[in-house]
Amino acid sequence: MRTIANLFGKSPFVPLQSHMRKVSECIDGLGELFQIFVNEDYDSIDEIARKISKTEHEADLVKNDIRNHLPRGLFLPVDRGKLLEIISTQDEIADTAENVAVLCSLKKLPVPATVKEVFLEFCTKSTECFHLSRAVIEQLDELLESGFGGVEAEKVRELVHAVAVKEHEVDLCQRKLLRIMFDSEDVLTYAEFHLWLRILAEISTISDLSENLADKVRTTLEIK
Amino acid sequence: MEHADILLALAGIFGFYMAWNIGANDVANAMGTSVGSGALTLRRAVIVAAVLEFSGAFLAGSSVSETVRKGIIDTDLFSSDPTAFVCGMLAALLAAGVWLQIASYFGWPVSTTHSIVGAIIGFGVLYGGVEAVHWPKVWQIVSSWVISPLLSATISYLTFKLLLKNIFYQKNPLEATKRLAPLLVFIVMTILTLTMVFKGLKNLDLDLELGPALLIAMGVGIVSAIVTAVLVRRIESPTDDDSMSYHRMQYLANSLAKAKQHLRRVKDVSDPSVQEEIEQLIDRTEALTTTMDRKKGPTDTPSLNKVEKIFIYLQILSACFVAFAHGSNDVANAIGPLSAVLQTIAEGKVALESAVSPEVLALGGLGIVIGLATWGWRVMETVGRRITELTPSRGFTAEFAAATTIVLATKLGLPISTTHTLVGAVVGVGLARGMGALNLNTVRDIAISWVITVPAGAIFAMIFYKILMAFFG
Repeated sequence: MRTIANLFGKSPFVPLQSHMRKVSECIDGLGELFQIFVNEDYDSIDEIARKISKTEHEADLVKNDIRNHLPRGLFLPVDRGKLLEIISTQDEIADTAENVAVLCSLKKLPVPATVKEVFLEFCTKSTECFHLSRAVIEQLDELLESGFGGVEAEKVRELVHAVAVKEHEVDLCQRKLLRIMFDSEDVLTYAEFHLWLRILAEISTISDLSENLADKVRTTLEIK
Repeated sequence: MEHADILLALAGIFGFYMAWNIGANDVANAMGTSVGSGALTLRRAVIVAAVLEFSGAFLAGSSVSETVRKGIIDTDLFSSDPTAFVCGMLAALLAAGVWLQIASYFGWPVSTTHSIVGAIIGFGVLYGGVEAVHWPKVWQIVSSWVISPLLSATISYLTFKLLLKNIFYQKNPLEATKRLAPLLVFIVMTILTLTMVFKGLKNLDLDLELGPALLIAMGVGIVSAIVTAVLVRRIESPTDDDSMSYHRMQYLANSLAKAKQHLRRVKDVSDPSVQEEIEQLIDRTEALTTTMDRKKGPTDTPSLNKVEKIFIYLQILSACFVAFAHGSNDVANAIGPLSAVLQTIAEGKVALESAVSPEVLALGGLGIVIGLATWGWRVMETVGRRITELTPSRGFTAEFAAATTIVLATKLGLPISTTHTLVGAVVGVGLARGMGALNLNTVRDIAISWVITVPAGAIFAMIFYKILMAFFG
């Protein structure tokens, strides 16, 4: 009669964080990929893209495991629906990272000299934005410990704000980058130009999703 | 009475078997939370449980035993037929024991208390028809099975909300814990002492009326609170680099931003010769801000860890409380029927007046301890390994709420299920957003086991009663 033991379910917060770490690996892979991409080292890109795909698949496995361990009878301190939303947003970030990697490896895409610097800045800011939202997720267990309120909640609120600020910076950077792209239309073929725009759009999705993710965690906080 | 020796021996064996069952299964549920949260090692949990279970059973176990012995069925009906009464109580003990063994085998969450109450009702109905049972008392007992988890859930919910508000939502949780800990110790110690001395220690001729009992309890509470206050003062507060730094950093960052703003203003209105110098100053402030930002980044809150360290000690206290409360309530399941049998055999008629003897309570307590020592520790280990998500602050809250409810029920003479009460308490903490994940299917299982256990105990008791009567009747 181990009634008490049966009462305790498997907490989804720790797996949620390990999922986020997998997603983070994808994004880190992307950082590496961008460096190679601007150096136009086309052979290495394929390899890194494959690596990111593989990590994305591993993240998917963790995600499925979490979803399978969330039976309806489980009582959580956070709304079940919200938790599932948080997981899918994390998952979307990994998917986007994979998409970016695939787009970058589709074609031997030239990087115009005028773009290079701003593009790297854009990429760095995007990954920074993601890492801020990852920090929010890393705070989840501390948040649980402090009952979703108090100093911890304050800290998370600040972080969420920081994510929003960073996302805005990414947007500004993207605008600048787009202007340069449209100015350099005669350097690129139509296909190259189109691919470039798609890549930029995908990369900016990373910061959008990161902000989204941080906001979702924000709504779980106790309102004082 | 014929076969008195055999009946006596059977009573001893069955009663001991029942007590063994309680020690083997139920204690693990009561103490497993402490092992799970890491407040007690398995070895210490077994020692604490053994000592406190025995004291609870011996010192405060009589009122519930009285209820089980003569509150459920109309003992007057048996005055002409003591053998039937003895066989009935023996059948009830055996039925509850066997049913528990079966349920354990299949892993059903049944309760010892419910089994024995069901079994006694069973043979009562068989012997004297429906009228033989004190239905008002039975309804009171049954309603206490619903009320006790609800009450403990309410207490734990409120207690945990209090902890959240006064500790976890504070800017400095550690300082808050240090302030609150003496109060918590005071409350636990006062209630614990009160249950012991207020009409409690009959077996030591120490039962006091409410007034003096309250005085003694408060005295013990205050002394322990003072000791706690002295002890927690020794715990070092985290330095500025730790938790407080977050708010300080915030303040520093704001001030720096202001400084920059002012410097710019000065630069705008000053001579070109000074302007360059101010420009440098602004640059240096800028650099300082960047360093601060880097430092401010997300860090763990070490003070929360220290809070839990204090709660480890509080949880040891509440674990003692649970063990005491558990012993005082659950010993009745074995001892109630046993002492009924022993007295009837000794006096040759169904005894009504004399109280449950201390020797029998001691025997029950011993049975529980042996059950714990031979099998219970293993179950406790399993339970502890399964509930690692529980932190000491949560464990303390749940145990405190459950133990308070159990001693209250014990004082009212109500046999309740300790495990179900504890489940209620844990769910209460969960409702206050204190738990990672609770499997509420267990609550459904418990409801089902309520519906099944009482009739099952009754049917087993009827069968064993028929068999025993065929031999001895």
